[in-house]
Amino acid sequence: MTDPAVAVRGLTKLFPVPFHRQSVVAVRDLDLRVEPGEVYGLLGPNGSGKSTTLKIILGLVSPTRGRTEIFGRDSRLVESREAVGFLPENPYFYKYLTGEETLRFFGRLCGLGGAPLKNRINELLTLVGLTKARKRRLGTYSKGMLQRIGLAQALIHDPKLVVLDEPTAGVDPAGSREIRDLILDLRRRGITVLLSSHLLAQAQEICDRVGILADGVLVREGRLQELIAIENQTELVIADASPPLVDEIESLINRSNAKLIERRKSTTTLERLFLEATAKNDEARMSNDERITKQK
Amino acid sequence: MTNDRNDLTLQRFPGRRSPGEGGNASTLAKPYRAFSVGRIGAITVNTLTELTRLKVFYFLLVFALLLIGSSMFMAQLTFQQEFQILKDVSLGAMSIFTSLLAIVATARLIPQDIEDRTIYTILAKPVPRLEYLLGKIAGVLLLLAIGTLVMGAVFFLVLYAREQTLVHVTMRQMAAAPREQIDEALRAVRASAFNSDILPGIVIIYLKACLLAALTLFVSTFATTNIFTIVVMAFIYFIGHLQAIAREYWLQEHSSGWISRVFLAVVALIFPDLQAFNLVDDIVAGTAISLGLFFKTAVLGVFYTTIYTLLAAFVFYGKEL
Ligand SMILES: Nc1ncnc2c1ncn2[C@@H]1O[C@H](COP(=O)(O)OP(=O)(O)OP(=O)(O)O)[C@@H](O)[C@H]1O
Ligand SMILES: [Mg+2]
Repeated sequence: MTDPAVAVRGLTKLFPVPFHRQSVVAVRDLDLRVEPGEVYGLLGPNGSGKSTTLKIILGLVSPTRGRTEIFGRDSRLVESREAVGFLPENPYFYKYLTGEETLRFFGRLCGLGGAPLKNRINELLTLVGLTKARKRRLGTYSKGMLQRIGLAQALIHDPKLVVLDEPTAGVDPAGSREIRDLILDLRRRGITVLLSSHLLAQAQEICDRVGILADGVLVREGRLQELIAIENQTELVIADASPPLVDEIESLINRSNAKLIERRKSTTTLERLFLEATAKNDEARMSNDERITKQK
Repeated sequence: MTNDRNDLTLQRFPGRRSPGEGGNASTLAKPYRAFSVGRIGAITVNTLTELTRLKVFYFLLVFALLLIGSSMFMAQLTFQQEFQILKDVSLGAMSIFTSLLAIVATARLIPQDIEDRTIYTILAKPVPRLEYLLGKIAGVLLLLAIGTLVMGAVFFLVLYAREQTLVHVTMRQMAAAPREQIDEALRAVRASAFNSDILPGIVIIYLKACLLAALTLFVSTFATTNIFTIVVMAFIYFIGHLQAIAREYWLQEHSSGWISRVFLAVVALIFPDLQAFNLVDDIVAGTAISLGLFFKTAVLGVFYTTIYTLLAAFVFYGKEL
């Protein structure tokens, strides 16, 4: 049997409140298993303990009770982090380093060096679309760009597990779609992804399994399809149907035992609208970037 | 470019890998080693880059200007006096500037990383906390070494320039005098300009700065703000200089039983005897620093630096980030 990518057992974390007797319970009796190769989404409202859980898994915060493992190795051991890439929420890196220098620094921390590291940096900068900004200091990066460099940094040593804390926070729809595609691509390559989010629509698109946290307690867990399917309902989406045809279908339904719950015009999503409207400007945005680089 | 961005399904990556396949190591990185000079080196270089890009080196510019300025208006003194003052001012300034640099540069190093959460990304890599700390302190010690070297070089240049001027003046004034008298006078000028104790003196100044950096690192691991660290360090700095006097007074008043010995040892650990590192007066007076005294002081400096770094590591290990 292979070890799970992440195992959390009986995890409880209390944060003491200064000058108070009782403490904040961030996570309570949490049990979690992420199998190798799956995309697991940890969902929950603000303050439900998602970030705390991820930090404990990475050994950045020590648990009050319980234990966590990565590929069978205790999170408290430094070597458990050997095959993990982590993107913290709202990542913030050294402002005085350029994008390229940042990746080199993190690569060296992972024991990389020389030509392989150089190639890897080029690869990742292309991957996250920051080739033009590679020589700029991170102090001048926008929030979305920081998120991208954070993602590149997490992937620098080609880890087997990637932990992402709200990977799309502060990223525009086009960017977050790219991040989604990237995560799907990681899954295709057999890399395990553990991510946290409160953007449910997005989690729905990419997660194999989700766990829902509320006040530090895991209230739901399971395969996404099973969790969200409404067993006794079916949706039809029809294009170019004439009104008589629709009336006919409706009367067919009424004659049977089934019940028509809703009849409406399909709408596009705001996201799709946004993407369509801004797609043309995408090139303009790029050449804008270019102009800035050329001015320097 | 647009295509490039949207087409994130990269062919660039090597072929797919089945989940959970072979060991825990990633394909690219070498297997994890418990202690890695490479990782420490990466953090050291990064720290040095941070400090230099923060432009702390302007400190050194101030120092150089101060030196050159002070040697301008000493023309009316005898050359012995002039060299004495020059050395006194320069070595004193070097001592203060390196100490200041050590405290200011170190105080914000770790709290800043914690506040900005950059520390999360670093410690989420396979980097032991001890290595992180060692890399940081090594960066500061390297900065201090560069600083001391630059200041030392400016000092020697000024000293050399004054010496050359004096040699020329002496030769002109004594043009008529016999050969031996001229040689005699020049020897006197050279002797009062350079003495062999300057170099060990500078080494001791550097070690004092190292000690202060390590102590600052220790204080900053449990301090809540940078201001706290700097105030505490200013306090320790002054107490540290007065400590020796206080100790003598204490020993006069109390018997030297083991309780007071332990007490004094604890005090000496919290407030290192900084006066012991003050060899400037001896150098200026021209009294030779014995080899024994030099080594004793040097060992003391290295010892304190090590102890404080280990104490910092100890506190840092249990720290909730
Ligand atoms: N260092 C800390 N000290 C005290 N309390 C903390 C600390 N870190 C987190 N908490 C508390 O623990 C709880 C969980 O926080 P956490 O950051 O894990 O939530 P989250 O699910 O990530 O929320 P968000 O969606 O806003 O990021 C919160 O009530 C928070 O106030
Ligand atoms: Mg969070």
